[in-house]
Amino acid sequence: MSEPKRLHPAAMIFNIIQAIKQSVLGLLPLVIIALTNGVLLIVMVISAVVLLAGVILVSVLSWLRFTYQLEDDQLRIERGILIRKKRTISKHRIQSIDLSQNVIHRIFGLTKVQIETAGNDPATDAALSAVSMAEGQRLHDELKYKKQVPEELEADLEGQEEEQPALVQPDPIEETELPRRKITLKTLLIAGSTSASFGILLGIFGVVFSQAEALIPDEFYSDASRWVLSLGAQLMIVLGIVVVIFLWLLSILQTVIKNWDFTITRYEKELFITRGLLEKKQSTIPLKKIQAIGIKESIVHQPLGFVSVYVEIASGEVNQNEEMHTLIFPLMRKKDLTSFLAEILPEYSYETEQLVSLPKKALPYYLVRSAIIPLLATIGVGIFFLSYIWIPLIILIIALLYGFASYHTAGYVIDDRQITVQSRILGKDTAIIKQHRVQALARKQNPLHRKQALVNMDMAILNKMSGRHFIIRELRVEDGNKIADWYSYQKESSS
Amino acid sequence: MREQPNVRIAKDAIKAWQLTAHLFAIISFIITIAAIVLYFYVDFVPGWLVLAIAGVTIVEWVVTAFIIPKLRWRRWRYQIYDQEIYIQHGILIVTRTLVPMIRVQHVDTQQGPILKKYGLATLEISTAATTHQIPALLEEEASELRDQISELARVEQDDV
Repeated sequence: MSEPKRLHPAAMIFNIIQAIKQSVLGLLPLVIIALTNGVLLIVMVISAVVLLAGVILVSVLSWLRFTYQLEDDQLRIERGILIRKKRTISKHRIQSIDLSQNVIHRIFGLTKVQIETAGNDPATDAALSAVSMAEGQRLHDELKYKKQVPEELEADLEGQEEEQPALVQPDPIEETELPRRKITLKTLLIAGSTSASFGILLGIFGVVFSQAEALIPDEFYSDASRWVLSLGAQLMIVLGIVVVIFLWLLSILQTVIKNWDFTITRYEKELFITRGLLEKKQSTIPLKKIQAIGIKESIVHQPLGFVSVYVEIASGEVNQNEEMHTLIFPLMRKKDLTSFLAEILPEYSYETEQLVSLPKKALPYYLVRSAIIPLLATIGVGIFFLSYIWIPLIILIIALLYGFASYHTAGYVIDDRQITVQSRILGKDTAIIKQHRVQALARKQNPLHRKQALVNMDMAILNKMSGRHFIIRELRVEDGNKIADWYSYQKESSS
Repeated sequence: MREQPNVRIAKDAIKAWQLTAHLFAIISFIITIAAIVLYFYVDFVPGWLVLAIAGVTIVEWVVTAFIIPKLRWRRWRYQIYDQEIYIQHGILIVTRTLVPMIRVQHVDTQQGPILKKYGLATLEISTAATTHQIPALLEEEASELRDQISELARVEQDDV
């Protein structure tokens, strides 16, 4: 086990695919221009072939050069065609090892191994893009679980493993005893049919449709639009509904594929999530990276009694395709939340019965903040186009309702070492934060606040981006002081 | 957070801020002069525009150089406890901030040419998620505080 190993040859395919993916996007405009010009087209084809050959060559070489080996307590990776890079990662520094498989991985029975180390520097992390499933499992167990085993035992185990290097699964009995939750198909379908991605898809469709004019030849476009217009209003409405339903189904499908079999398991020091139908993903969240827990109730989910649960984690790996926070459960009934937390994250508890809400004098601030722009718009429209005044008026009423809802939702509860902050940005968001996770506490007052004995409290925590601020606006001064006392280490000084 | 912190920053801060404001005002004065010159040589520059620019320049100069620095200094206070740093600032919106020592990641002192002229320095305290400044402390006081804070912050950090 100490000699250097190569990745599975399929790693070359991933390399090639990735290189093509990257270059296609950049070259697309050129291709479109080339399509209209015969000579340029030939040049393009030739250069594409050359480029492809180059990419294949580089992929093969980098595959040849990429080796990894397990040695003592270290994982050693060597790579680079011209510039040789060696990286050694100590076992003790590894925070999580995740195996994920996309479609190609699954065809070949392979897995990607993502190794994340402590610290916020993404450059210290490592990834093996394709190894066999058994090898992936072995690495995972080797680097992860064995470090808790005492050394004498470890030596023993190592001896055994030489003989049977295949799947070393943790004890199955132990596995079933661990607290875990799995999403049901029904909730998954509900999550899909009410997800926000539907709106996004609708938007994308709208953009594509409006750009279609430029892409489709004029004649065809005008023929088609004449045909559509000749269908009459009813048919067009039907067509529209069909498109919307189709997009809706697409968004359901997307959510179902992404969160298929979503399972969260609580280990002693980490959360472990597996999900995905086509692309199987594992992710490990070390408990000590969790900065806060959030419970989101979107405006669609709230009346139906559903919530989704996420965590804010401090981490260096920020991919563009990943959300700001990490979902630890896509959707569940709100009444199941307490038992979910008790089982998966007993360190945190969800209690909002004793929520301290805002004083009445805070309401005007919320109404003004949400309605000032629609109000100005209403006045403007009222002066210039009186007959259309109903449009801004409706918006104004919605804004006022929203302002009231925000006021009504806002509040906090202090419970021993944790604070629960409730707020609303469209959806209701309840965050549970531990005292020692708050990086700094600020209290802000403008002159009006001072006159009315109100304060804004701002709690900063760390997350994947540079930080997140939880702000409760227009609290009573006494409540602000309570939060400060809860936070302060210097009890005597601030009381 | 009921009482305000009890240590003021150096009184010379006012002078330093005033000097900065004067320097910035020079830019607006140059613009004003340019506008006046243009008014005499170019026909279509309206007179009211020049007056407006001149007015804004003078108001800006008076406010930033003679009013704000004093108010700002009066509000600026800080206090260093064993376990946390307490800061207050802001003229209209008064902000009081608590930063626990164990959350402090590093402390810097900074000094630009203007602060240097008055023997002052700015102390910058960073946590993992936020940055806080105490401007215009006496040089030796700033470096003393920097060492003191980094000493106090050296308490075992559990994580992040």
